[in-house]
Amino acid sequence: MVENIEIKLRDEAKRLFSEKRVDVIIGYETGTLPLTATPCFITSPEETAKLVFNELCTQNLAKYVHDFITNHKNSQKRVKPEDRKKKVIGVVARGCTTRSLVLHLQERQYDRDEVHIIGVPCEGYLDRKRLEKTLQGEEILDGNVENGQINVRTAAGDKTLSRADLLADNCRACRFNNPVISDIIIGSPAPAMNPDNEYEKINEFEKKSLAERWAHFTKEMGKCIRCYACRQACPSCYCPTCFAEQSQPQWVGIGDDESDTQVFQCMRLFHMVGRCVDCGSCVSVCTTGVDLRNYLKKEEKDCWELFGSRAGSSLEDMPPLGKYDEHDKQDFIYNP
Amino acid sequence: MAENLEKEKWEPKIVAIVCNWCTYAGADLAGISRIQYPPNVRIIRVPCTGRINPFYIVKALQEGADGVLVSGCHPGECHYISGNLVARRKFAALKSFLNYIGIEGDRTIFTWVSASEGDRFAQVIRGVTAKVKALGPAEKMIKQIG
Repeated sequence: MVENIEIKLRDEAKRLFSEKRVDVIIGYETGTLPLTATPCFITSPEETAKLVFNELCTQNLAKYVHDFITNHKNSQKRVKPEDRKKKVIGVVARGCTTRSLVLHLQERQYDRDEVHIIGVPCEGYLDRKRLEKTLQGEEILDGNVENGQINVRTAAGDKTLSRADLLADNCRACRFNNPVISDIIIGSPAPAMNPDNEYEKINEFEKKSLAERWAHFTKEMGKCIRCYACRQACPSCYCPTCFAEQSQPQWVGIGDDESDTQVFQCMRLFHMVGRCVDCGSCVSVCTTGVDLRNYLKKEEKDCWELFGSRAGSSLEDMPPLGKYDEHDKQDFIYNP
Repeated sequence: MAENLEKEKWEPKIVAIVCNWCTYAGADLAGISRIQYPPNVRIIRVPCTGRINPFYIVKALQEGADGVLVSGCHPGECHYISGNLVARRKFAALKSFLNYIGIEGDRTIFTWVSASEGDRFAQVIRGVTAKVKALGPAEKMIKQIG
């Protein structure tokens, strides 16, 4: 099944190059470490054999699409307007990646004809941190995924693990595992995941006392070393100058005061209201395992309950904070 | 804050971010009508509530404000037609989010006061001051100086 998708994907990529429809294709290739996949940029038909798509592909490629187009546009600034060239980027996109692309299009970051979306149905990816935890820190020497089983070879011996146990949290509760928009879809639609109880953990957390919630926040943000990997990986974080690096005004101090880290995280998370597509990229790149999803999912829940909007679910819609409705709930307004 | 250490004498410091067209004029009216209200608020005037970056609120809390009040024109009366409606969405999400991370809901208060409501402005300030006083000094997410 997976092999089949990969073959079709490579054929399609080759065809796009031979028809000169795209300048570059952003996809996944096998990583240098066992049981990993890494983003790759393909510029010629020969290279298309590198393309893979499986449950090891974690990162949201929309980030690279945005970076690539922005860099290209910047490089064209000194070219005469009539000589400017558009580049078309092909991107291998699963559900969450297409949602990020929709978000970029809604926010007028580039035009629809600058991206060629090769949609792939997705059945979730593996949570690397959970895999490492299951192996109790044993180094992974080799491994492969077959028929829903993960075969891992470590120094302590061989192990077979179930794929379903190791799926990332966001994939388990994924609502959009099939592409939202695409120019072509490879393979048949993937079966639905389990989105019905997606807010289960959030509802539980909401019931905790204020002190408990604050204790959780300070504990989690205490882990953060402010490497900004979450920001670098996030497709919705594309400001040319991030507030964390702005110096006039300096929003966030650069010292070791823990409130600065809390404020940085608080504001980066708040920038994701109505913009987080729950792709899990930030969670998977976090070096210290901060529980970011707890907060991002809460914002998604608020957005759905208050404004009836899910980020990047439709091209016709606008991001919820970019529009308004006269009849929005205002029970939070203080009225003496 | 050092000057607030004595608990009995403690008075909250509240940052009030108000819009130029309604609430600021309302505060002005309260002043010229000589209506008394607690002196705990520090008013910051902005062109419109839609102009308020949520960062202003979080930053005020980090810098030691015990409470933040945001007030603008009533819905439908915005000088810029829809500024306060856009702001309303932002604040609904912000208030819910700050409460979720564990900051007391009464530290961030949003309301509408129009230019003719000097009396209401004084009432709001009295109410907000009482609410923040009941919570006590802010201790969360505060930057330690020195």
